[in-house]
Amino acid sequence: MNEDPVRDILRALAEEDAGIEASPQIEVRLRKNFNSWKRRRIIRRTSPWVLTAASIVLVFAFANRKETQPPATRSAPVEQTVASLPEPIAPIKPLPQTTRSRNSTAAGMPESFEIVTEFFPLMDPAPAFERGQLLRVELPASAMQMVGLPVREEYLARPIHADVLVGEEGLPRAIRFVKIEKE
Amino acid sequence: MSESDEQLLARILKGDEEAFAALYRRRQGPIYRFALHMTRNRTIAEDVTQEVFLALLENGRSFNASCGTLLSFLYGIARNRVLKRIQKQWRDEPVDDAEQYASDNDVFHDFTRGEIIERVRRAVVSLPPAYREAVVLCDLENASYEEAALALECPVGTVRSRLSRGRMILAHKLAKYKVYGSKCV
Repeated sequence: MNEDPVRDILRALAEEDAGIEASPQIEVRLRKNFNSWKRRRIIRRTSPWVLTAASIVLVFAFANRKETQPPATRSAPVEQTVASLPEPIAPIKPLPQTTRSRNSTAAGMPESFEIVTEFFPLMDPAPAFERGQLLRVELPASAMQMVGLPVREEYLARPIHADVLVGEEGLPRAIRFVKIEKE
Repeated sequence: MSESDEQLLARILKGDEEAFAALYRRRQGPIYRFALHMTRNRTIAEDVTQEVFLALLENGRSFNASCGTLLSFLYGIARNRVLKRIQKQWRDEPVDDAEQYASDNDVFHDFTRGEIIERVRRAVVSLPPAYREAVVLCDLENASYEEAALALECPVGTVRSRLSRGRMILAHKLAKYKVYGSKCV
């Protein structure tokens, strides 16, 4: 049997249905899914780095505590209520937020101070948080990119300081990045 | 000049929501129509469309531009989802919302043409899946043989033979419906 009439009929059907599209609700749903995918992706990428860094720091802090009195001060206890924890979807602001501290050094040496970003949550949804520790870690600058902060390509491998908020159960809850400036 | 699908995908994988929206708007139509022509069910077609773009987020990195276009990659995902639904549909109660599907078109066209088109739709969806997907992709969505081959995971020659066989079966079905000879088509 000749195929040409079939092709004509199929062409007519194709023309008839050419404008048919999925309903706009699908796009709305997909956009929501996109945002949760993006957050999951950031957590997936960041957590291994942070966990590794936090583990290393914990081991060193523990070893240091055994050897010296008073204990090492690289980690500071932090108490925080659930209400004051950062929201799961934190606005991403690349600009520094606050000046945290000034460290006096030996006479004649320049003073250093720290510029910190806001905390970026590492768990979504964040479970209840009551007590934890703030750990200073060193990470490649690419870790900043993973929470949405812009980093120039040439700086991606550079080490940077970060404070990781670790809950009592040992899971990293949030991270902020630290820039140490000298006056 | 608008960005290519591949450029949009690269931006999507970096987390660019607008690129995702742009790619979705550009490609949801063909994917949705493919699923609709394969299943004749709007709900399934919308579910499949949504799943295809979600799968793109999760598996987009596995796309290799040297193997084919992004559209054929999307068709491939859609095809797998549709086949799962078709198998499930055969096991469960058949789902068919042809009345709802046909109603939108009847508003704009005379009854005879609408009726013929509807019969063609029925004939297409009654084809065995292997022939149906070739006909839908190549004849209804104007995919090239190469694109169809990639989506259907078979050689180009197989696409050609399935397409030819599918058209032959359709010709028999439509002859039975007495669709030929109508001045409306």
